[in-house]
Amino acid sequence: MNDTMTTIDVPAAGRVHGDDPPKIAVRNLDFYYGKTHALKNVTLDVPANAVTAIIGPSGCGKSTLLRTLNRIYSLYPEQRATGEIRIDGENILDRGTDLGDLRRRVGMVFQKPTPFASSIRANVGFALTHYERLSKSETADRIEDALRQAALWDEVKDKLNDSALSLSGGQQQRLCIARTIAVKPEILLLDEPTSALDPISTAKIEELVHELQNRFTIVIVTHNMQQAARVSQKTAFFHLGELIEFDETTRIFTNPSVDRTQDYITGRYG
Amino acid sequence: MRWILFRRRLADWIALVFAGLATLLGLIFLAWILWTTLSNGVAALKPSLFTEMTPPPGADGGLLNAFYGSAVMIALALVIGTPIGLAAGTYLAEHGRHTRLAAAVRFVNDILLSAPSIVLGLFIYELVVAPSEHFSGYAGALALAMILIPVVVRTSDEALRLVPDRMREAAFALGLPRWKVTAQILFKAGMSGIVTGLLLGLARISGETAPLLFTALNNQFWSADLNAPLANVPVVIFQYALSPYDAWHSLAWAGALILTLFVLALNLIVRFAVRGRQSR
Repeated sequence: MNDTMTTIDVPAAGRVHGDDPPKIAVRNLDFYYGKTHALKNVTLDVPANAVTAIIGPSGCGKSTLLRTLNRIYSLYPEQRATGEIRIDGENILDRGTDLGDLRRRVGMVFQKPTPFASSIRANVGFALTHYERLSKSETADRIEDALRQAALWDEVKDKLNDSALSLSGGQQQRLCIARTIAVKPEILLLDEPTSALDPISTAKIEELVHELQNRFTIVIVTHNMQQAARVSQKTAFFHLGELIEFDETTRIFTNPSVDRTQDYITGRYG
Repeated sequence: MRWILFRRRLADWIALVFAGLATLLGLIFLAWILWTTLSNGVAALKPSLFTEMTPPPGADGGLLNAFYGSAVMIALALVIGTPIGLAAGTYLAEHGRHTRLAAAVRFVNDILLSAPSIVLGLFIYELVVAPSEHFSGYAGALALAMILIPVVVRTSDEALRLVPDRMREAAFALGLPRWKVTAQILFKAGMSGIVTGLLLGLARISGETAPLLFTALNNQFWSADLNAPLANVPVVIFQYALSPYDAWHSLAWAGALILTLFVLALNLIVRFAVRGRQSR
């Protein structure tokens, strides 16, 4: 049952744990920016409580895929997706999907840190207090908890009322992660979360991803193939809007079955 | 080769001279206006400006009733205009962002922004003054609000559209509803632009004369009744400056000076307090 067929024409490409239902099941997904066809008939299964990396050259559609998983693309009327994305069996592309609830369950961290123009405490507490009715001390506990999980607590515990904009880039990014996990999502989408950061901050974030993987289903888009190899269990390779190959990360990086994947990871293009 | 270099340098020099002269010309007139206002105004400044009412011909007096009337009408115009302008600007920048309706409204608003203020005054005259058969402070405040609203719409629309999309996406990605994203994150991010717009709008309506001529008219006596004709600085300046009396002339100059200083102060606040905070 394990390590079997892993090419695009097999439905549910990359399903390895044959019996576990996937957390996210993408079926025949097409995506359009106006008339530009950015994702072409993508089908893949994202396993629960593991890290799935998405790699590929610029413009291959990897960020686009991520942006469909929390429907953030719906902010722009000219963008649309067809096909199915089932999270725990429920198709989130349905018209009736409650986007607020979906986005609470599917958190997203972006390429550039995006702290809000308020205090560190308010940044984390903001969405938290929107979803849950908490007492002051409960809120404080949850904020501390989220900051600890994001490995930021020790650096900010004495200045929670300072502006979030006063933090360094790496700290800001960890704050964004804290803000996202504070509302207890099930899935964490990371869109090139370290591409704007220095090597030390990058290492911290990667460590963090490693620690969080047991509690969340993580999908990470990255330009950095070493990063994909370091943090993920499964890797999907995209090229020109198509899913070329999806398999165990070790297999993708040691013995890919498609030539284009091989060419990309050995640096022949991209 | 040398000739080309020389020609370029000459062209550069000529352009510089003309640009410099044009700037100088503009600055000379500005300095002249300020100097005239300042020298005539300072000579007319006296404490009684703030304690006495506008006098009849031949008597001494101050501008207290005019200052009061202007302050009340401007404040009321702000109270009416700010929420409407802010709400419309928010609609244009956020809710209606991608719709044709918003594009059309933005276009119409731009027309309104450059509409002659006397036309807006006439409009309020027809709408309020004529049916009620008397001039009033309310009508004056409404006319000023009509001028303020397009300014606030435009500046808040622009301030919100300057907030980067990634900030908006980050907020929506937390699953927050649109009103919360707008009120608590985007307003905060665009605050300095919004406040700048309000202050500039305030500066703009402080000096408006034409719309008040048809609406608040003027009142030589103390009156706090907004439902009656109300004294105000611009119209007092207009009337007194046209009169043949020296005492009235000097009051007009004093009013002009104080108005100028007020608008100048608002612009300085915008320049240093608000924009300074933005760049920090």
